[in-house]
Amino acid sequence: MIRRLTFNLAPGRILGIVGESGAGKTMIGRVIAHALPAGFAVTGGSLRLDDDNLVRLTPARRRALLGRDIAFVPQEPMTALNPVMTIGAQFSEHLKRLGITSRRTRALELLDAVHLRDGAALLRRYPHQLSGGMCQRVLIAMAFAGRPRVIVADEPTTALDVTIQARIVQLMAELQRNAGTAMLFITHDLRLASRICDEIVVLYAGRAVERGPAASLLAEPAHPYTRSLQLASPTMTGPRRALLALAHRMPGLLELAGMSGCRFAPRCPIAEADCLTMDPLDRAAGPMRVAACLRVDGAHRIAVSGLPVAPAIASGKPVLRLHDASKRFRSFWGATGTWAVHDASLVIGAGEFVGLVGESGSGKSTVARLIMGLERATSGRVVLGDRDVTRASAADARHRLHWAQMVFQDPQSALNPRRMVGDIVTQVLQAGRRPLDRTRRMERARELLAEVGLGADLLERYPAQLSGGQRQRVNIARALCAVPRLLVADEIVSGLDVSVQAQLLALLLRLRAERGIALLFISHDLSVVRHLCERVLVMHRGDIVEQGPTETVFASPRHPYTRRLLAAVPPDDPALPWQPFPDEAELMPPAGPPRAAVAVPSR
Amino acid sequence: MNALLSGRVLVGAALILFVSLCAMFAPLLASHDPGEQDLLNILLPPAWSSGGDAAFPLGTDSLGRDQFARLLYGARLALLVAVTAACGAAVLGTVLAHIAGYFGGFLDWLIGRAVEVWMSFPPVILSLILMVGLGTGADRVVLAIVLVDWTRFCRVLRAEVLVTTQRDYVTAARLSGFTHLQTLIREILPATLPLLITLLSLEMGIAVIVEAILSFVGLGVAADQVAWGQMIADARSNFALAPWTLLLPMAAIFFTVTGFNLLGDGLRRTLDVRQTIARSA
Repeated sequence: MIRRLTFNLAPGRILGIVGESGAGKTMIGRVIAHALPAGFAVTGGSLRLDDDNLVRLTPARRRALLGRDIAFVPQEPMTALNPVMTIGAQFSEHLKRLGITSRRTRALELLDAVHLRDGAALLRRYPHQLSGGMCQRVLIAMAFAGRPRVIVADEPTTALDVTIQARIVQLMAELQRNAGTAMLFITHDLRLASRICDEIVVLYAGRAVERGPAASLLAEPAHPYTRSLQLASPTMTGPRRALLALAHRMPGLLELAGMSGCRFAPRCPIAEADCLTMDPLDRAAGPMRVAACLRVDGAHRIAVSGLPVAPAIASGKPVLRLHDASKRFRSFWGATGTWAVHDASLVIGAGEFVGLVGESGSGKSTVARLIMGLERATSGRVVLGDRDVTRASAADARHRLHWAQMVFQDPQSALNPRRMVGDIVTQVLQAGRRPLDRTRRMERARELLAEVGLGADLLERYPAQLSGGQRQRVNIARALCAVPRLLVADEIVSGLDVSVQAQLLALLLRLRAERGIALLFISHDLSVVRHLCERVLVMHRGDIVEQGPTETVFASPRHPYTRRLLAAVPPDDPALPWQPFPDEAELMPPAGPPRAAVAVPSR
Repeated sequence: MNALLSGRVLVGAALILFVSLCAMFAPLLASHDPGEQDLLNILLPPAWSSGGDAAFPLGTDSLGRDQFARLLYGARLALLVAVTAACGAAVLGTVLAHIAGYFGGFLDWLIGRAVEVWMSFPPVILSLILMVGLGTGADRVVLAIVLVDWTRFCRVLRAEVLVTTQRDYVTAARLSGFTHLQTLIREILPATLPLLITLLSLEMGIAVIVEAILSFVGLGVAADQVAWGQMIADARSNFALAPWTLLLPMAAIFFTVTGFNLLGDGLRRTLDVRQTIARSA
């Protein structure tokens, strides 16, 4: 899986391990933790922490080292804490294991260091009474408790909201500086890594393709893959440009066995014949820089030009209008309620791409569900085309088929694992009073797959046999089947790697050019919204707090919440300072159990 | 498909097949009518032991009836009750489970409370009370088992339906214009079917036992029908004299129930999606 990986981590430094899913990032953490999945083994090499070879440790020595000298910050803070024990009890247990006396005082000190106020009250709480960000702070405090020599943080902020992510990353960097600890920061986000890491290793298919100081690596990538990653990510400043969409995908574990030569060569824009046969060795690529490429100097030749889209289509007749739509969720016996969406008004014209941004729990998804008739508005109106569909009746649903369709966030959950792709994409034709026969449906399925850039050979596959990107395309193809005028897309690229994301964004833009389709694009990723949408709406706690042309809103945000969202994104230019705002909710534990009334509609 | 052929499934299926063949060909295999009394030959031991008679391969009971014939005809009743009662309970429980899990809200609350109240009665007592009210007969036994055991299906399947309903593909089906009924049959039932099949098999074993209990206390089938429970009840008083009269029907029950349980347990392991995924990953 991983081959010939070399890195050095000095005390007080942060090393970033960057790669897409399947690159082998997590394996590194697992090797250190001695938690390799069945069937994997370290076949050679060593991993030294001072005098200990971490690959071959006696169990006793391992127990002594792990948790004490090597601490871990997990990916999912909510699941890493025991839900039936108070924070205090878990903290105390951890400190006891580290051999620390006066545990309460130490715990309070540590909580203070991670900027959690009122630690004494916090210690009495249970994990479910805290937000995800607070849980992660607690876990970070625990990780630093034993003054470890190394901290391994595997995607520590991926499960958190953007504004919280920014604060957590800065907090970790701050603690690490103060304690002089070394840190291994594993992430998929090159931009984030370049912000906090001193040095970065870029992994591709288990091979470290490039290594070097963070700033120079980002400014001048030497390996074609690093360069491609950068060109595939949308930016927050400067003119909008097309994204580089690499062909194919990263070779999987089974394909690797049969590969000789450079593992990136089949996708590399500047590969030549010898790349496919010769295994590139690490070469110097500038001061302190190493890249495993035969054409170290060629990376800068990779470029994309042109605008992402034909100029925005002038808004025609509105396809969707929301007038003061509100949704209130009541508890079962109707005692209390929460406004998930409050007086939301928006208009989307034909062929218009509109972004909807906000944090989790801001009501973005509820807006989508209101439009799709999955929830009925408590008040206000939802108008699709020329028909008021607020009541979400059966006739409304038939009308909606040809006006709005939804693309779901998680393609895994959105595709029935027991159905073949051909049946999934044409299920609209199977429903209703006059279902089409199978031959006619397969004809249509072939058209749809071609439209989303998939081959007809996938017709008889099951979702489990597809890659993440292919599944999301199938998901889009299904939504297109009834030829809707509006697509409602809820976080459809958030689980995907940047190179796949770039392909999908290009697909959406092509669909607009060809069919004039409109899009409501719900996302937490501001740079993707900027790339795709002319107009953006910002939601905060059920209210649309700001809306306008994307460039204007992002360049001069008026609402304080929009400013906070924007500040949470690290600037494109590594030279510019990154100053996310402190989040009051993070600093002050709310009085009651905060997530008792969170709007999670049952259906 | 190969995964289906685990050891448990094979052994369980073989046992059930054997009992089914016995039941099916009972008139051909048995040389006596199961009700025929031969008062000259009462409590005969099996043919192979001393004092046995080749005409009565497994001996006779206290009224001189052929044990072999009675076991075979008893299997007919046991299997008939097991299959129909389990299917009946499955249909009732599955329908209610899907309604509760899919629609949620008040319906879910109502069905959930009904199941809880129902399950708070001890099942044996409940079925005895029902039998007293309904009267005896094979159809009444089936009805009693259905009315008592539908809750097993309802409770377990509801949880499965609930999980499946929250998947996005179910929402997608609704957005594609399928009716609730179509969505349930198309998207949700296939996901719950493996669990349903497993429960069905286990329930058949339970039904065999319940039928035996009811026959044992005389509240099962009519006196002229042969039931294993009845055979045990008849043999009680002569246990010291003729232990085989008691042991044979007990062994029959044991093998049948074991067969159903092995089959059910094996199916649970092979059909359970989560376990299959865990194995292949």
